[in-house]
Formats: sequence, C-alpha cells, structure tokens
Amino acid sequence: MLWYKAWLETRSRFLASLCGITAIVVLLVHHLEDVMRPVGLSGARYFVALRRSTGDIFNSGQHLLVAIWMLAVILLGMGGLIRERAAGTSSLTLALPVSRRRLVWVQIAVGVLESIGLGVIPWIAILITLGVGGFPVSFSQAVFYLALLISGGLIYFALAMLTSSLIEGEYTAPAVAFGVAILSAMVCGTVNAIRPYADLWRFMGGDNHFSDGASLLRGPFPWLGAFAALSVAALLLLTSVAVIQRREF
Amino acid sequence: MDVIQTHLLTKSYRDEEAVRALNLSVGQGRITAFIGRNGAGKSTTIKMLLGMVRPTAGEATILGTPISDAERSCEVRRRVAYVAENKPLYRYMTVGQMIRFARSFYGDWSAEIARKLLREYQLPADRKIKSLSKGMRTKLALLLALARRPELLILDEPSEGLDPVGIEHLLQTLVARSAEGVSVFFSSHQIAEVERIADHVCILDKGCLLVDTSLDDLRQSYRRIDLAFSSAPIGEEFRIAGVERIQTDGRHLRVFASRNADIVVERARDLNAISVEVSPVGLRDVFLETVKEN
Repeated sequence: MLWYKAWLETRSRFLASLCGITAIVVLLVHHLEDVMRPVGLSGARYFVALRRSTGDIFNSGQHLLVAIWMLAVILLGMGGLIRERAAGTSSLTLALPVSRRRLVWVQIAVGVLESIGLGVIPWIAILITLGVGGFPVSFSQAVFYLALLISGGLIYFALAMLTSSLIEGEYTAPAVAFGVAILSAMVCGTVNAIRPYADLWRFMGGDNHFSDGASLLRGPFPWLGAFAALSVAALLLLTSVAVIQRREF
Repeated sequence: MDVIQTHLLTKSYRDEEAVRALNLSVGQGRITAFIGRNGAGKSTTIKMLLGMVRPTAGEATILGTPISDAERSCEVRRRVAYVAENKPLYRYMTVGQMIRFARSFYGDWSAEIARKLLREYQLPADRKIKSLSKGMRTKLALLLALARRPELLILDEPSEGLDPVGIEHLLQTLVARSAEGVSVFFSSHQIAEVERIADHVCILDKGCLLVDTSLDDLRQSYRRIDLAFSSAPIGEEFRIAGVERIQTDGRHLRVFASRNADIVVERARDLNAISVEVSPVGLRDVFLETVKEN
C-alpha cells in the first residue's frame, strides 16, 4: 500500500506532465512532418529522403523531449517526508511500522517508473504519429534515444529527490532544483575541460552519436557514460535516503 | 511491567531544553494522563518515544524496547497506535482508502471494530478526507488507532474537535480498552476528562516532570489549608516537606501541600492559628498550583 500512497501523491503531477509532454511532442512531430516531407522526388530517392527526414524529426523530437522531460522529472521528485511535515502528515507516516529507508525507496521507485513512463509514452506517440503520417519508423533508433534520455536524465530526478529531502518549502525546493540543474548544464556545456564528459544535454540529446550525413545515431550505445550518469543518480538518491534517516520530524 | 519507561530523557533545541531529564513510568493496563501547558514538552516526549525525534541525552524503552534501537522500532510501532495532536490523515484519500491503507500494515487489524466505529461515527466511506470536518477527521484517526488492537495507545489531545457525544464515546471506549488490558497514554488539556478516566497523572511543565502519581493518591494527599492568625503570620514557618506553595494575605495564610497536611495543621495550632480549614483539592487546582509554583 506504500506504492499506492506514492502513486496517489504523484499521479496528478505525472498525468499532467504526461499529457503535456505527449501533446507537445506530437504537435512538433506533426509540424515537422509537413516541413520535412520530401517534395519533387519519387521512387527510391523519395524513400531515402523520407528516412533521413525521420532521423531529423527523431533528433528534433528528442531535443524538445529532453528539455520538458527534465522539468517534469524534477517536479516528480518533489514531495516526500519533508513535504509531509509541512502538510502535517509526517507523524502519521512515521508512526507506520515501516522504516524510513523503505518509505523513501518506495517513493524513489515510483518516481523512477513514472520518469520512465514520461519517456516511453511520448516516444510511442512520436512513432505512431510518424507511422500515421507515412514516415518509416525505426524502433532501434527510438530505443537508442530513449535509453540516452533515461540513463542520463535520472540525475535530474535524483537531484530533485535530494533537494526535497533538504529543503522544506513547497516552492523553494523545486526552484533550487531547477536552478542547480540549469546552472550545472550551463557550466558543463561551456567549460571545455569537462564538456566531453559532463555535458548531460549533449548526452541525452544524442549529439555525441548523431551523424549529420545519415541523420541517424551511429556507433555503440555509450554504456560507460550511461553507467557513470546512473551512478551519480544513485549516489544522489542514497544521499537523500541518508538525509531522511537522520532528520527529525 | 511498565510499557513506557524513561530515564533522564532530555531533548534540547539549540539553547532551549524542551524536555529535561525526564523520568517517567507508564504502567501496563493503566490509563495515564500527561498534562501540561502548551509547549511543556508533551509532544516532544511522545515523538522521542516513537523515534521521530532523537533524544539529546537519556534513554527510554517502549514496550521493553529501547527507543534507540532503530531495527526493532518498526516492530514496536506495529504494537503501538499513535494519534497525533493535529489528527493527520492523507487529504487526497477517501475514508475507505485510508482504512484500507492502514489495515494493510497491521496483522491484528479488526475489520469488525472498524465497521462498528465507521457506523457509530457515521463516517462516509467514499468521502474525501479533505472534505471532512475536524470532528470527523478526529473520529477517523481514532478508528484507525482502535481497529489495530494495539497494546499501547498513545493519544495526543484525543478529544480535541469532538462534540460532547463523541467525547463521551471516546472516554467510554478508552476505559473499555483499558479494562481489556490495553495501556493508554494520553495528553490532554481537558482536566475534567482526565479526572474521569485516568488512573495515573503526570504533570509536565517547561520540560520537567512535576507530578507523577496515581489519581487516587493525588486526591488523598493533596490539600489546601486555609489559616487565619491574630497577627500577620510568617509563611516560612510552614516551609516543610510536601508544601508546594504558600500564599500570605494579611493575617491569612494559604498552604498548598502535596503531603504532610497534618503536620502543617499541627504547626498552625502551635502558632495559635484562629482558624484552620483543610480542603481536598481537585486535579485542576493541583495542576494550576504546581504550574504556577514552577
């Protein structure tokens, strides 16, 4: 039932984000279909050009998705026991025969599943929209993009969890999380010394693997980068569990 | 056996001591009232017992388990029902969802008690908690605590928000549960309720335990002694063990004693008191006098 409670607490944020993200990416893809549909070509050349257009639409869709997905997962990471203390229900939750560690891990698990859902469902919508529009769809490319989004982006969810375990304010916690996310993206994206390793936006957007010539993600999946990003996310989540275990209510 | 025992339990917040070296014992099967002014340290003590707040010093056990034992505290919380002062409930759940949620954590949950109280309290199962009145939320919080069939009930201001019928029902329920062997530890500002049901009373003020006695002992030993003399008396003459407070007003003297009232009377006679009047005092007077003196 803790899972049910965590779902009830986040479902309105999740469903609103899901509807918003899906609608935005579908509108973008639909618009790009009109703009990028090859004209004046026929036969094999038309299909080659159409395939390239699909690759470009995937890439544009992914870049938009990265930006709004990041905002949504930060919102999903808000809440938890500190927020409950402000709402006055932490004494009810903490009186349950459940360890604080388990309370936080359930919240994390539900948040991670919802974050994955916020990536998967818009990507399914992109594929359906393209399919309906007569564009060839590549599941392997979609999965590549999705894996980059989730493996790199869970850091933002973890950052939100940590912020909400440290800061009580309903608006302060998300504001700080957004601030840190944007600042870190600016620093990592502009400082050349760390840019190749730490620019999450490039990683999530697939820029390191995108071939302009073929409009496709090329090369093997960056397992090392994904592992590093997920490790940082895990570290942030472990820190937030430790913080909650030590807090007084 | 004591269900709650504290030894020099202390909690400090920066420079302020919320609870000071508290030595408290709550007996099994008894109804123990914990009374004190706002900010006396009652809620902090309860939160320390339930592991929500860490003590600065001292130790305590609840149902025989040290409160510092985080591993076993989950098991203790399974046997203890706690209703906090603000009667916290998840506003986004319905009454039925809240009951199902609570039920899932307790193997001893009694569906029969839950059904009975749901009916008696007239709680609508499909209503959202955020739309319930304060009294109804209090009733639901009590239902959740009672249906668990706990060994120890810890209630922080349980009657707050209840109407007179609800209060009467609550008091009868607590007495009945105590008769079944459930230990009840409750804080209250309603002295009349405490006098009606409590076996034992603890008065806390500024974090210190000032009174820890059974209600019967309190009724038997606490006395107010009004004395009149032909000339202004010296109050210090009556400063003996058990005298909690001495008030002088011209030729009149009022002594408030927790024990040794007979020695005060004897001394008054030795000092040629014109009149001596000994009256029993109720819990309200004991509370007010003790807190004033502190």
